Amino acid sequence: MSASPTRESKGYRPGSLEILAIGLVVLIVGQRWLVGLFDDPALQTGATIFVSIVVQALPFLVLGVVLSGAIAAFVPASFWKKALPKNPALAVPVAGAAGAVLPGCECASVPVANGLMSRGVAPAAALAFLLSAPAINPIVLASTFVAFPGEPMMVVARFIASLATAVIMGWLWLRFGKAKWLRIGPRDHLVGSSSWHTFRLTATHDFLHAGGFLVIGGLFAAALNVVVPQEWLLAVADQPILSVLVLAGLAVLLSICSEADAFVAASLTEFSLTAKLAFLVVGPMVDLKLISLQAGTFSGKFATRFAPATFVLAVIFSLLVGWWLLT
Amino acid sequence: MRRDVQAIVLILVGGAVLRITIGDTFLNYVQEPMRPWLLLSGGILVVLGVLALIDSIRKGRAADDEHTPHDEPHEHDDGHGHGAGGPRAAWLLLLPVLAIFLIAPPALGAYAAARDVNNSAPTSEAKAPPLPPGDPAQVTVAEYVGRAVWDDGLTLVDRTVEMTGFVTPDPEGGWWISRMAVACCAADAIASKVKVLNAPDLPADTWVTITGRWVPGGGTKTDTAIPLIEVIDLVEVPQPRNPYE
Repeated sequence: MSASPTRESKGYRPGSLEILAIGLVVLIVGQRWLVGLFDDPALQTGATIFVSIVVQALPFLVLGVVLSGAIAAFVPASFWKKALPKNPALAVPVAGAAGAVLPGCECASVPVANGLMSRGVAPAAALAFLLSAPAINPIVLASTFVAFPGEPMMVVARFIASLATAVIMGWLWLRFGKAKWLRIGPRDHLVGSSSWHTFRLTATHDFLHAGGFLVIGGLFAAALNVVVPQEWLLAVADQPILSVLVLAGLAVLLSICSEADAFVAASLTEFSLTAKLAFLVVGPMVDLKLISLQAGTFSGKFATRFAPATFVLAVIFSLLVGWWLLT
Repeated sequence: MRRDVQAIVLILVGGAVLRITIGDTFLNYVQEPMRPWLLLSGGILVVLGVLALIDSIRKGRAADDEHTPHDEPHEHDDGHGHGAGGPRAAWLLLLPVLAIFLIAPPALGAYAAARDVNNSAPTSEAKAPPLPPGDPAQVTVAEYVGRAVWDDGLTLVDRTVEMTGFVTPDPEGGWWISRMAVACCAADAIASKVKVLNAPDLPADTWVTITGRWVPGGGTKTDTAIPLIEVIDLVEVPQPRNPYE
């Protein structure tokens, strides 16, 4: 392991490597005691649900970050400018639809959209891409298909509701958006010494970031399954509108990566398909992690306008499409 | 989080995935077809982690030679909780690793089955096809529930059936033979329960194979009905390779 050799010259301060090493030693020494703590059926059931969500979602997450890393590293930004129509009103739906073929992790989509704008792509089109790429890319749709066996319409509904939200938001930006809300910076986020190095840096960073939020989502789903009495969940789930709003709000809080969220949604067995759809449409577009990313990248003024508007549109389209396709 | 710690986290996560997939433990959490994908993604994580570790060792040496401060020139705080070098949320990835290596959560059992107030997924109310031939006929617990509750037990009359499940104590005395059915992974598991008559009491989570005959009772055509079976023969068995239906 590489203890940093420059450390002594700066004076000793315990860093994350030391914390990790000490923590692992304590855990290995205390394993017997720790396992005893978990010798309780409720905790074990929670642990099983937690691990199963993480394990089930992990391959999709890895595939997603590998592909989005490859796109960040190997597709030049000038490609986008050439591929999109000059007229912004036309570029919005084209950019939205481009999200269907290009996987982008949602945390990556904010810097990518920033990079597109800084290279001259119309902001409205870049924002449509920002919303649609994490929501309707092939890996996300495949994970939704796997998570809802026997409910293939869920995939179609997710695609339609997400694309509609992304495109309408792009057009709304074109009509009402103000350039001063956007602080467009150069995209120097993760640039390595070569394309291969950039790819590795991007994939590693995206995985660590998205993985952390996947863990939060998994913990929450496990807690819902074990701590909250099922009668309560059933009582909420029986209210058609309330249940949609509750799951949409949950998606904002949990901030799960879009490659993984279908498995958390599927674990909410008490809720209707439309409520689960709202979870899947809202999650990749509006959540706490994305709001903080947008505020950090563009500006607080941008995030406080863009995120609530997207939330409202996403809920409306989930209700409409759910009513149309899932009942 | 420092680069070398990030690398170790990647290796630990990848290693934990490989550890449960080499062997049958992963079947407690997900389904068989996931195996190649888990092996692939676990492998990718280990490789990415090892390469990142080599990177940071090299960088450490270079920094030592030039007496420059150890820093990460290519990164900046982009508003999602980076310290000097990596997302803080990444620490959370140690939780599943710890859960897998230290707790090794078992397959869902009696606790989850008892918690599920609904019994089995509502079956279509169309007439069930006849039981498969054989004496006893092999059925899953979910299939027995479907036939007994949603088809008035018509296809179970005068047949002996055999099914495998685990013991879930009935709070009102006796126990249910139960099995979790999984659509995708254990997180969406749904319990099926059948009340066992004429059987000795057994501790929760004991796996058994029973043969028996349907007897009327327990209610029909509701999500919460728990049908009955009169046991003819009962043997304790080890947990099946795939604990779910």
